[in-house]
Amino acid sequence: MAGSAIRRIVIVGGGSAGWMAAAALSVVVGRRVDEIVLVESSDIGTIGVGEATLPTLRNFNAMLGLDEIEFVRRTQGTFKLGIEFQGWNPRRTFFHGFSDFGPDVRGVSPHQLWLKMRAAGDESSYADYSIATAAAALGRFGPPLADRSSVLGSYSYAFQFDATAYAAYLRTLAEQRGVKRIDGRIVEVRLRPDDGFIDAVLLQDGRAVSGDLFIDCSGFAALLIERTLHAGFEDWSRWLPCDRALAVACAPTGEPAAFTRSTAHRAGWQWRIPLQQRTGNGHVFCSSRISEDEAAATLLANLDGEALGAPRLLRFTAGRRRESWKRNCVALGLAGGFLEPLESTSIHLVESGIGRLVELFPDQGFEPKLAEEYNRLMARSYESIRDFIILHYCACGREGELWDYCRKMPLPDGLRHQIELFEASGVVALYDSGAFAEPSWVSLFLGLGVFPRRHDPMADLIEEAGLSRELQRRARIVSGAAQSLPKHGTFIDTHCRATA
Amino acid sequence: MSEIAQNATRRLRSIVIAGGGTPGWMAAAALSRVIADGSCAITLVESNAAHAVGVEGGSLPSLRAFHGLLGIEERDFVSAARATIKLGVRFRDWRTIGDTFLHPFGSYGVDINHDLIQAYWLKCRQEGRGSPLEEWSVTGLAASLGRFGVPPPKDSSALRHLSYAYHLDATLYSRFLRAYAEQRGVRRIEGDVAGATIDTRGRIESLRLADGRAIGGDFFVDCSGDDALIIAGALQSGYEDWSQWLPCDRAVTAPCAGAGHVAPVTLVTACEAGWQWRIPLQHGAGNGYAYSSAHLSDGEAAARLLERLEGAPLAELRLLRFRAGRRTQAWVGNCLALGSAAGFLGLLESTGMHLVQTGLGRLFGLFPDRDFDPAVSAEYNRLTALEYQRARDFLILHYAGSERDEAPFWRQCRGMELPETLAYKRDLFTRTGRIAALEEETFPPGSWLAIYAGLRLWPQRHEPVVDIFTPGAAAARFEAMRQKIRAAVETLPVVASGDWERYHSSSRE
Repeated sequence: MAGSAIRRIVIVGGGSAGWMAAAALSVVVGRRVDEIVLVESSDIGTIGVGEATLPTLRNFNAMLGLDEIEFVRRTQGTFKLGIEFQGWNPRRTFFHGFSDFGPDVRGVSPHQLWLKMRAAGDESSYADYSIATAAAALGRFGPPLADRSSVLGSYSYAFQFDATAYAAYLRTLAEQRGVKRIDGRIVEVRLRPDDGFIDAVLLQDGRAVSGDLFIDCSGFAALLIERTLHAGFEDWSRWLPCDRALAVACAPTGEPAAFTRSTAHRAGWQWRIPLQQRTGNGHVFCSSRISEDEAAATLLANLDGEALGAPRLLRFTAGRRRESWKRNCVALGLAGGFLEPLESTSIHLVESGIGRLVELFPDQGFEPKLAEEYNRLMARSYESIRDFIILHYCACGREGELWDYCRKMPLPDGLRHQIELFEASGVVALYDSGAFAEPSWVSLFLGLGVFPRRHDPMADLIEEAGLSRELQRRARIVSGAAQSLPKHGTFIDTHCRATA
Repeated sequence: MSEIAQNATRRLRSIVIAGGGTPGWMAAAALSRVIADGSCAITLVESNAAHAVGVEGGSLPSLRAFHGLLGIEERDFVSAARATIKLGVRFRDWRTIGDTFLHPFGSYGVDINHDLIQAYWLKCRQEGRGSPLEEWSVTGLAASLGRFGVPPPKDSSALRHLSYAYHLDATLYSRFLRAYAEQRGVRRIEGDVAGATIDTRGRIESLRLADGRAIGGDFFVDCSGDDALIIAGALQSGYEDWSQWLPCDRAVTAPCAGAGHVAPVTLVTACEAGWQWRIPLQHGAGNGYAYSSAHLSDGEAAARLLERLEGAPLAELRLLRFRAGRRTQAWVGNCLALGSAAGFLGLLESTGMHLVQTGLGRLFGLFPDRDFDPAVSAEYNRLTALEYQRARDFLILHYAGSERDEAPFWRQCRGMELPETLAYKRDLFTRTGRIAALEEETFPPGSWLAIYAGLRLWPQRHEPVVDIFTPGAAAARFEAMRQKIRAAVETLPVVASGDWERYHSSSRE
């Protein structure tokens, strides 16, 4: 039978994952628990380079009751319409935007319509139908209209911000809502002798912080979930061989772009995340194929402005905690798994981890079925993102050892089927709990040069001249709508310029 | 890979449907509607002798979307197929003798999401403040009050949640679709399909008819029923037998004279070796007894059915035989199976026509050209397998969750080992109050809740999501919702299932 209610939640580790959990739990379950405690050590730095997100963060912030403008102002934030991929396809730069390519016509997807017209000699680009792509290219941004039938209501956006500032902002909020912060270094984790559940974390100064539910946000250290509970790690480095990143901020040059840029290099890729007063950069690379010095040199040679300080090195292994919920411990953020930031999914995974924890919120009985369901759902999310990221590597047309390896490596079955199906028919196979929808997959397939052998035969049942006129009309509307938006920099200056 | 698409030369020029019946004519009608430019010849081969298995059947609400696709007016369909309204299924004596519960179509609640409604309802029940679940659903309350009216398009009241399907005469429905398809150029050939000729690449070249004729085509749709003449007979696609979980393998049917004023639902009554249905028809009722031949002889089943009819039988008894299961690959090369050639889940909950319809929908989304790339059929088969398995699990839950133990049939059902996927779902619900909706579900969470609740498979807790409200706020909000549902349903006229005049004549705003 059901046990009694959870009374004390202990979050181990600050940083964005920890404070996101603290803020969200204080809003959603705060009324029902006696205390939410967050233990962090001011000695231990958090990994807070410029961070980019998916549009879902808007929902998370709204759930917290954050004012978006205030949030952007306090985090050096900029707006993000998608990701530009340079050098991944040697023949063209392409964009993965947060919008689709227009509505279906008679049940036929817009990319299939484009493929049909292309076969008939039309030379337009499918990107002409994506409002996010068009606006980003013009350096324009404005919030979408509520009317989803309008092209100006058909896109979404995310943020690029300083994750450390975000954590600090959430900390204020969480503390206001009663979350208690304890500054201390954890030296030991005490287990209950009878069932091996976590009883308390012991601090260097001798204090013991006990609780009913523990949230492990200790980052790569995975202090509770792995070092204590040995939940196990599923290593995905055979598909995602990059294992290091060097990160550095640089001075901004001109207006911030309303997009993140990913530039492929010889043995990895480099991100560029524009914030309001600086730009975050990082080189993700495969240490067996390039030295750290070379990687640093590549990074520094590809900055827009002057480097602010020396690059910081991060080491990681792509993969996922086998059980991100084990006994009375739930791991969020890097403690739960790591996927390189190629599609800005880290914060999204924290959001969905918190959301599912709230949905499956346990009581003291810790019904194992809750953890099982949580782990099933998280596994699917991680795997769907993993496969989407692998696609970038395995379909990349670059030369070089890393890229040759990725083109030849055996793929996860689900992804292999997705690629084969798209090549055969242009159809995107979608799986349960996938983080990316059809337009995202289409952006990547076509962007990387994976073209289907044929378009949807159903598209041939649509009268060609009429379809051609319709697509031209759409491209004109998209272009006009993009030009009607304010410049991204102007929008920030007007509404949410950081004061710091 | 080439960036130049090869479409023009690879388009299908002809499609041959093997077998008529409801699946065959549904396929013919939909194909003739979608491929309306005459670029592809559509032929259907059926024998004159093989009149459609003429049971009066039920549909799911999705059939209305199918008619929307075809551009069929409801009144034309209703008069041609002698359709009546179906708001759901009423189960009698199912959990225990004397017990009854309703599985209404549509969702529970109005303007509040399902998770919250489910959590709150379960919480009330736990606290002993329960009210009948059907009162939380517009369709459910309408069904139990015997009220109905076709909601006007773009209705913004609670009545927009009213969901309905039909009971219909399958033979008449096939005839109706045949006329529709023939009008749109489908050619009907009368003949007995005897088999198929296969070319060197393993593709079907032509159907062989008993009289020696050969009907060639690019793509073949096997609607030959249980015989699965092409997909199994010629192409050797196997059959995954599910009779260990879905034990009924026969049905005996008989229409009978009207039993007075009947509610617009299918009535399903559990019996000694299966269950008996009663379907309201425009004039009378359709009846049948689905049973397990291992537990009851055909003769005895017929006798029991006749004994329990509520009016005089209007036709001779008909016997149907089937075996629950799924074709391992419903699409092989240039042949797609639909209807019982692709699988059969029994008659409970009326999945037959729905699965034909979703099969057609998937075919249109994955429409082949003459290359018949295996990746395309693999995707079709992947989704189809998931869909059949999800629906199967929903049906198994009905049998496995009964507490009846007075008959060997029901004792066997209670003792069966569940498929892993269902065991997971049931345990998740009973231990946590959560319904796992997986991909390709035919039945939405509301349907699962109706059955769990009907079988009294109560969770040990409610989901905590509802605890975000203070108890007073929650009570007020849900009570207001219930009143809104009741007020809306009470504007509908009291009707019997075939009362079409009144459904449309009501002058609600």
